This record gives sequence, C-alpha cells and structure tokens, in this order.
Amino acid sequence: MTDDRLDLPQGTLDLLILKALSLAPQHGWAISERIHQVSRATLQIPQGSLYPALHRLERRGWIKAEWGASDNNRRAKYYELTRGGRKQLEHETKSWSRLTTAVALVLDMG
Amino acid sequence: MLSEIWSDFRYRLRALVRRDRLELELDEEVRFHIEREAEKYERDGMTRVDALRRARLAFGGVDRAKEETRDARGVVLVETMLQDLRYALRGLRLKPGFTAAVVVTLGLGIGANAAMFGVVDRLLFRPPSFMADPATVHRVYLAWTERGEAIHTEHLQYTTYLDLSRWTSSFSAMAGFSNRELAVGDGDHAREIKVGAVSASFFDFFHARPALGRFFSEAEDALPAGSPVSVLSHAYWQTRYGGRLDVLGTRLQVGKTPTTIIGVAPPGFVGINDDGPPLVFIPITNYGTTISKDYYRNYGWDWMHMLVRRKPGVSTAAASVDLSSAFLRSWNTRKGMERSLPPADVARPHAVAAAVPLARGPEASRDAKVVTWISAVALVVMLIACANVANLLLARALRRRREIAMRLALGISRGRLVRQLLTESCVLAVLGGAAGLAVAQWGGGALRALLITNEDAVSVASDGRTIAFAVVATLAAAVLTGLVPALHTGRGDLATTLKAGGRDGAHHRSTARTALLVFQGSLSVVLLVGAGLFVRSMQNVRALRLGYDVEPILYVAAHGRSVKPAPAEMAALKERMLDEARSSPGVVRATRTQMVPFWSGERRLLFVPGIDSVRRLGHFDLAAGSPDYFATMGTRILRGRGFTRDDGASAPRVAVVSEAMAGIIWPGRDAIGQCMRINADTMPCTTIVGIAENIRSRSITDAPESHYYLPIAQYDQHVGSSFPWLFVRVDGRAADYAESTRQRLQRLMPGDAYVTVDPMRTIVDPTQRAWRTGATMFVAFGGLALALAAIGLYSVIAYDVAQRTRELGVRIALGAQARDVTRLIVGQGIGLAALGVVIGGTLALAAGRWVAPLLFAVSPRDPVVFGGVVAVLLGVAAVASVIPALRATRVDPTEALRSD
Repeated sequence: MTDDRLDLPQGTLDLLILKALSLAPQHGWAISERIHQVSRATLQIPQGSLYPALHRLERRGWIKAEWGASDNNRRAKYYELTRGGRKQLEHETKSWSRLTTAVALVLDMG
Repeated sequence: MLSEIWSDFRYRLRALVRRDRLELELDEEVRFHIEREAEKYERDGMTRVDALRRARLAFGGVDRAKEETRDARGVVLVETMLQDLRYALRGLRLKPGFTAAVVVTLGLGIGANAAMFGVVDRLLFRPPSFMADPATVHRVYLAWTERGEAIHTEHLQYTTYLDLSRWTSSFSAMAGFSNRELAVGDGDHAREIKVGAVSASFFDFFHARPALGRFFSEAEDALPAGSPVSVLSHAYWQTRYGGRLDVLGTRLQVGKTPTTIIGVAPPGFVGINDDGPPLVFIPITNYGTTISKDYYRNYGWDWMHMLVRRKPGVSTAAASVDLSSAFLRSWNTRKGMERSLPPADVARPHAVAAAVPLARGPEASRDAKVVTWISAVALVVMLIACANVANLLLARALRRRREIAMRLALGISRGRLVRQLLTESCVLAVLGGAAGLAVAQWGGGALRALLITNEDAVSVASDGRTIAFAVVATLAAAVLTGLVPALHTGRGDLATTLKAGGRDGAHHRSTARTALLVFQGSLSVVLLVGAGLFVRSMQNVRALRLGYDVEPILYVAAHGRSVKPAPAEMAALKERMLDEARSSPGVVRATRTQMVPFWSGERRLLFVPGIDSVRRLGHFDLAAGSPDYFATMGTRILRGRGFTRDDGASAPRVAVVSEAMAGIIWPGRDAIGQCMRINADTMPCTTIVGIAENIRSRSITDAPESHYYLPIAQYDQHVGSSFPWLFVRVDGRAADYAESTRQRLQRLMPGDAYVTVDPMRTIVDPTQRAWRTGATMFVAFGGLALALAAIGLYSVIAYDVAQRTRELGVRIALGAQARDVTRLIVGQGIGLAALGVVIGGTLALAAGRWVAPLLFAVSPRDPVVFGGVVAVLLGVAAVASVIPALRATRVDPTEALRSD
C-alpha cells in the first residue's frame, strides 16, 4: 500500500458514486475502478462501504438498479442515476466546490 | 421531497417483503465484484488462486459489508422484531406447560381487573349513555344542619326545584327526574316496573333521538298536571310490544294514569339509571299531580332529583354558590309556610353541583366504598400475578443461562438479547390479555350482578372502555413481568457461566426470585386478612338480631290505583285480606302494618308530661299492627302486654314502646302505665301497656333506634283509609309461598287494584350487601392470591432442588436420611413463607385503620383472623415445598455426581 492514497472524507462517497454514474450506468466494481482511475489512483474506495452506499442511494431514490449483461456477457447489477439523483449531484457538486474554495481561502491566509 | 419519501417507503417495503430475493441479489453482486477484481489481478500475471485471495482481501469482510448493506435498507428493526417474535413463539410452543401456567396466571390477573374495571367504571366514572358534554352536567345535592346533625340529600321537592330554577343564573338547562316503581299495564298484565318521571327538558341533556315518534314537549310537561303521555324505552318496546310500529297512539296505563304512547327511546337510552333502568318515561308534572294537588306549591315530600348544565364559563364552584343562595331563599320561603322548620342561620342550608353518579356524590354509599376497596384488591391480585409470571420467566432465564451465555459468546448483542426476552414476555402478556378478556366476560356478569344494581346488561367483549383497560393492563403486565428477567440476563459474567457448565456445584439462589416470592407472600397475607375480616363481619351482620324474624316473613302490599272504595268497604276489604292471608297454604299468622323496615318509616310529634321537648331527645319511629303483630314478626314483648282485639278504635288508646325508647323517655322509671300524647299536647293520653325488644328499621350500623307501636285500629283513625299492607308469617321459607299468597289475595282486589308480595329477605338483603360483597370478593381474590403464591413457591423450590441435585447427592452419599433432606427443603419453603407472613402481617395491621369503618363488630386486628391466615399460609407453603422435597429424597447420589 502506498502512502499517497487518501481516505475519503466523510460524506464524499455518495458524491463520487453519483458522479461516476452521471455518464453511463455502471455496475459496482466498475464504479470503484472508475473512481480509482480518474483520481489517478489517489482515491481508493473502501470496497466494503461501496455496496451499503449503493443501497442507501437506491433507497433514497437517487439511483435505480437493474440487472443486465456485462461486457463479457455475465449477469451484473447496473446502477443508473434517476432524475432526482441528477439534481442531487448538481446540488452536492455545488456545495462541494463552495466548501473547497472556502477551505482553500482559509488555508491561503498566509 | 414527497417523491423521496415515497421511494424510501417503497424500497423499505420491498426490502421487507422480498427479503430473500434481495439477499440472493446481494450475494451475486458481491461475487461478481470479487470475480472482476480477481480478473484484474490475473491480467497483471497472478495465478487464479492468488488473484482471488487478493480480491477478497481488497474487498474486506464480506459478511460485514453485507450486514451494513442490510442496515442501509433501513428495515433491520422490523426484521429483527419479526425474528424475535418467531423465536419467542417457537420457544413457547416447546414449553406448553410453562406457557399455559403464565397465560392462565396473567389471564386471571388481567381478567379480574378488567371485570372490576367494568364495575367501577359503571359505578363511578362512566357518564350516562348518550349524555351530551357530560363534564358540564351535575346532579344537585342539598345540605343543611338539623339538631346538630349534618344532612346531605339528593332528594328535593318539586317546589324547591322550581325555586332553584327560578333563582339561579348559572345554568343553561335544568331538569327534574324521579325513577319510581309504578304498576304499568292493565288487569292481570299489570306489573310494577321502573318508570322515569322526567321533565321535558330532561331529554335535552342527551344526544338521543327517539327511535320512533317523539319525546315530550314543554307543553306536555306544563304545570300543573302536564299531559298523560308516555315514551317507552327501546328494551320495553321490544319485549312488551315486539317492536311493533303501530304502538304509537295506543293507550298504556302507568300508575293511576292512562297515558298515550307518543315515542320510543333509542336502544340503550336509560336516562339517569340510579337503581335499575326505567322502562317507561312520563312527564314529571303528570306524575307529580298523582302525589298531591299542591306538589308544586308546598314543601311536603322530597321525591325527585335535579340535573343542571353549567353555562360556558361558569365554574363548578360558582355554580354551587349560585345554587346555595337560591336554596337559602327557598328555605326562607318554606320557613314562612312551616313554622317548625329551623331558621336558616341555624340550619345553614347550602347546595352543591356535584357528580351525576350517586356513588361519587357527597353521600357516597357504603357499596361504593367497598367497590373502591375491591378494585384495590384486584390491583393487588394483578401485582401478585405479575410477580408470579416474572418469577416463572426468571426461572426460565436461569435455566437457559448456558444457552444465553453461548449466544453472547457467539456475538449477539446484550441489547438484542434483552429485546428478545421482552418480546417473549410481550407475546405471553398478549395471550394472557386475551385469556383475561375471556375471564372478564365470564366472570364479569357475576361480578356486576353482585356489585351493581343498575345493570343494563352490556357484555365486556363489546365494551370499548373495558377492552381499552384490558389492553393497558396487558402492556403493563408485559413490562412488569419482562423487565426483571431481562435486566437479570443483561448482567452476568459469561466466562464463568460457560466454564461452570452443569457442574455448577456451588448453586446460587437467585435473590430476585426470592424477593418476588416474599413480595407475593406478603400481598397474599394482606388479602387473606382482608378476606377473614370481611367474612367475620358478614357472619356478625347475619347473626345480628334485627328484633324481628326475616326468613319466614312476607310483605304483602295492596295498591289501589284508581279504585277508591268507601270507608266501610275498605274496612271490610282489610278484614277479608287478613282472613284470606291466614288461610293461604303455609301461612301461620298475619298482621296489618303501616311500617316496612328499611323501606318506609313514619314519625309523629310526641308530648310527654314533664318533658319540654321530646323531639330533642331523639327520633322515635312509629309502627302499627294488628293484635297478632308481635307474634307474626317474632318481636318479643319483654314486659307488659302486646295488643288484643279489645284495643279497638273506640277503646282507650294504648301503645307498646321499645326498650330503648322507654329508657330514653322514662329513665329509671317504669314506662308501663305512663302517658304519652301523639301529634299534639291536647290529644288524649296514650297509655304504655308493654315494652318490646329493640328493632332496627332504618340502618343496621347507625346508633340504636327507638320505636313505639300502636294498635292499627287506633292508628287508622289518624290517617283514614288507604289500601292495606300486611306481614305474613309462613312455616318455612317465605319466598316459597310468595306467589301462592299473591294469587289468593289478588282475587280479592276490586277494579284495577293489585297486590305485590316481597319476602322480608329481599328487603333486608340490600342493607347487608356491602359486607356480603366484601366477603365474597375478598375471599375470591384472596384465594386466587394464595393459589398464585403457592404456585410461585412450588416453582422456586422445585427449581432450587433441581439446581442442588449435586449437593443433595453428596449429602445423601454422606449418609443424610430422607427425613433430613425433606426437612432441609421444606424448612426453606416455610422460612420464605414466614418472612412473607411477617411483612404482610405488618402491612395488614397498618392498613387496618382504613378498613375499620367498613367492618361490622370486628376489630381490624382480630387475632382469630390473623392467626388463621398465618396457619393457612404456612400450611400451604409446607404443602408446596413437600412435593419437590420428596423428589429431592429420591436423588440417586451416583447419578447426581456423574451427570455432566
């Protein structure tokens, strides 16, 4: 394990999952792979937390699940954003950037 | 937002209903994930086996992830509850004996309380059916002081009612009512039934619409005589008329008045039901006019009750003040008409707007007090039942200690464990509650028959308030019984428990169980002492000599209705009735009377030479009878003589006085031969010719009473002619001859006159009811408590013996005799019982002060009762512990030492 990997701050996992699903429906493993890759291997999703998070989002109605065939023709459960999920993503993205900007400002104080 | 909630709900519902399918899907999803991860590693050159292991490692604990996913579904609570429920039901099915014991115990406890609640509710709390806004409705009670004695009454004259209506401003509605026994129907169909004489405004106090026709109008209730109309109760309409619709407009004879039926009340409407539901309603003014022409102008007979509804914003206290000032004004008006009335500044008349149920009014009856006591007793039985069940549950928990320790070791949380145990006690309580309702339904009828006279036959099962009470009692039972064992299980060191295993040689007796047992025993002692005291009271009441016989006496009354014979005819009728009565089968003697003990009394002004005011010396009740009077009643003449045929209307006036009266008026002198003037000091002398034993005709508990007797022939001269009353003495039980006597005498009746016959027993019984009720209920509940305590003791000792098998085996191996073992075990049981006796006895002594006023000629510390209870409890304890003790003596030492 390399030390340049970061633990996810509380509450960001949902945001990342929503974002990863914003382009196309994905199954669980692909979501974690995608986040891992896009973050240039910096963010490692604790795989054990992925599925509870997915079910929680599904319960809230932000994503919905459907069984489909994966690229190598195996059955996999695909998740996709609902309309509510899209709104939620927008909302959370905005508050995230507000938060990071604010934190950056404070840190830049000199 | 709304859609989110909806999706949330749908998801949870699906999670709950399609739980198994979701589990499978989750499995598949996780498997797929690990596969893909492994493939990734394989592509990097790992072997399949290494790759799979690495993938699993990266995923982390699969089971934990699954568990968290389940949590994320948000239905864990419901799921585990269902699981606990299934677990509890399975456990209870496996132990049918235990389950039955608990359900029966709780059933008896809850049932007794639900049934008692039904009674207390009806007697004290429940507003009359259909009453609109009952919180603002009151009955008016009057109070004043007369000869230093505080008088409270709910009875008033119609004239007082008019005064109070006229001179108050706090009320939006007022009504008078009076429930009376009147002969209803014609000829042979005439029966005495309860008739409600009520104001037209009476019906406005209720949300009731006539089932048929209408209620009376103001005009039909107008002074002075109203209109001869009647409204039937629904029950009477059904039983007497078969619910026929053409009943409206037909004629119904009510008392002396032929009325026209104008309506039928809705089902269940009984107006104000003090002592039996009225079956027919008539305008109160129409009834009043049959009593006296001037019933609304003079202050003679107080025969009715008054109902008021406070205006909004008027407090009860203000309403009472308003009533009091009106009553004061009314008193002064009355004083202007009746000289002998004490002046207002002495009498201090006041009025109270109080509760509608009489049992909660200022004059709460002895019955109401006894009922309150019995409810407390029922609660104690409930506590005992709960203690018993808690004890059984605790024993079960202790037996399962290893199982529970094992489950704790396997990772179940203590919270979950406690929840499981509580679920079990909830299931038991619900079963017990159901059994309780059955008990209440079955026992409630008997209880109500015993405790309330105004029964309107509502079954428990259809009574919402009683069911609600049973549900609350059930919940309380669940918490009370479940908490102790649950908390007990929550503690404890599992390592020790697991290590010790069955070789738990050093057995530790559970202090919680012992405490519960002693608690039960103590309460049982208290109840048994109560039972003993009430039984002794009842014996004393029964043995009390009233001064006349009760069992062989029949009371016969002729009612004239509209028949008005000429004086000569009436005199002949009286003689014929006496002769006919004497010749009836079984009858040995008969006498006329004008006084019926506990039902009617009469007092006259008395003047005795040398005494300023006889009235100041006390109350003297008048009785009058034929020559056979004393022999018929069984009242002994102590000195002098009774009456003879010679004491006729024109003979010198004579009287017999009771011993008490002789002692009060002529202390230290011989009363015989003295002179007494009746009604006025200008009347001729009535000479005392005999002294009779004292009798009781008003109350069996109050101060001794004084009576004097006149020959009925001389009495008749005072009052003129009215239909006669007779006492008849039979050879045997009076009730057996009631109907034959009635039939013979009815044949003599002219016109629509009729005869009623009541055994003296039914007249005297209500005065003894409080003690009989108390004795019956205390004995029933005390017996129940004792049985429960015995079961509890047995189960604790039996459990103890089972736990000590090894120790007992060792003792027997070392040469202990069966006798020693028995003594050891039984001694332990008796020791616990003795502790209960000491605590319970102390409690009973302390509580004695409160029951004392309800007892009759028994000290609340009666040594016979206390001694008896101690003997019974210790005896029962001995029996309950002998059974397990015998089992202990049969312990085979080799078996005991080898086991586990």
